[in-house]
Amino acid sequence: MTTGLTNLKELERDAFRKFYDDGIFDLYLGGILITMGIAALITDQIDNEMTGMLITLVLAFGVTVPVLLWRRHLLRSRLGDFQPGPERMRKIQGTRLALLGSVVLGVIVFGITAALLNSGSEDILGAVIPLIWFLNSVAVLGAMAYFLDVPRFYAHGVIVGMAMPLLIWPDVLWDHQLQPWIAFGVPGLVVMAIGTYKLVLFLREYPAGSAEESADATS
Amino acid sequence: MPPADETATITAAVDRLIHEPARLAIMTNLFVVASANATYLLRQTDLTWGNLGSHLNKLEDAGYVTVAKGYNGKKPETTISLTEKGREALLSYRDRLLDALAPVAGD
Repeated sequence: MTTGLTNLKELERDAFRKFYDDGIFDLYLGGILITMGIAALITDQIDNEMTGMLITLVLAFGVTVPVLLWRRHLLRSRLGDFQPGPERMRKIQGTRLALLGSVVLGVIVFGITAALLNSGSEDILGAVIPLIWFLNSVAVLGAMAYFLDVPRFYAHGVIVGMAMPLLIWPDVLWDHQLQPWIAFGVPGLVVMAIGTYKLVLFLREYPAGSAEESADATS
Repeated sequence: MPPADETATITAAVDRLIHEPARLAIMTNLFVVASANATYLLRQTDLTWGNLGSHLNKLEDAGYVTVAKGYNGKKPETTISLTEKGREALLSYRDRLLDALAPVAGD
């Protein structure tokens, strides 16, 4: 029984963390990165930025919806469901604020990028944009790791953050551009590999719906 | 080791309803969440549904938990939460146990 844990705080943290042990968020994160790589490839082929952005959005949506549904189904049938206590709710709010901050920062960076491109200052972009991407990724996933008590998200912050520097800095520094599917795909595959490993362990530890079936049958 | 009569006093001072390991597991797991369904408690405590149901009945009779039966979509779902009385009882249980164990804590 989980009362073997040392205190209530640890009990709560352990219970909440289980809901991120399925590796689905990792698979989603990796999937989004790979999607960005594929979208960049397609954009290069059709040579139209707007269509490329639309394709990225459609692919990202295509990854997000099934993952969210799967996660909900997977978790509810295996781990049950709970309403977090007040302290955990504050932490979840902190995570939401971090995500919102990331979106706001993204919009600002997008605006600055567009302005600098129009003024022909591409050199500054080459140095700064990857750095902002990296810091943003480390900050957001670091906040998630901290607030949600899932330490491996710190590592994800660094891995995801490497994508943009991999894409742009080799070109700026050595005049050698990595293909977008490599720059985004390799970090994406690393995160997905971690997610797959976690998912396999999770499915082994929590077999399909056995607890729920017995509960439903007698409740 | 405390004298026998002192031990008896300590045991009497502790809420025996909560002192039982399975019920303590249920109470502590409910203490750290606002509410939970039966599947969650089964997973967290490793009890069988029969055991869980039986202990929940005792805790409900004492007014420590509320058990609400409803539906999540088409599936039946039992939602359990700790009452204010249950929360206070668990805190009181903890304080009494800590008080009782205080003399041996530094050993």
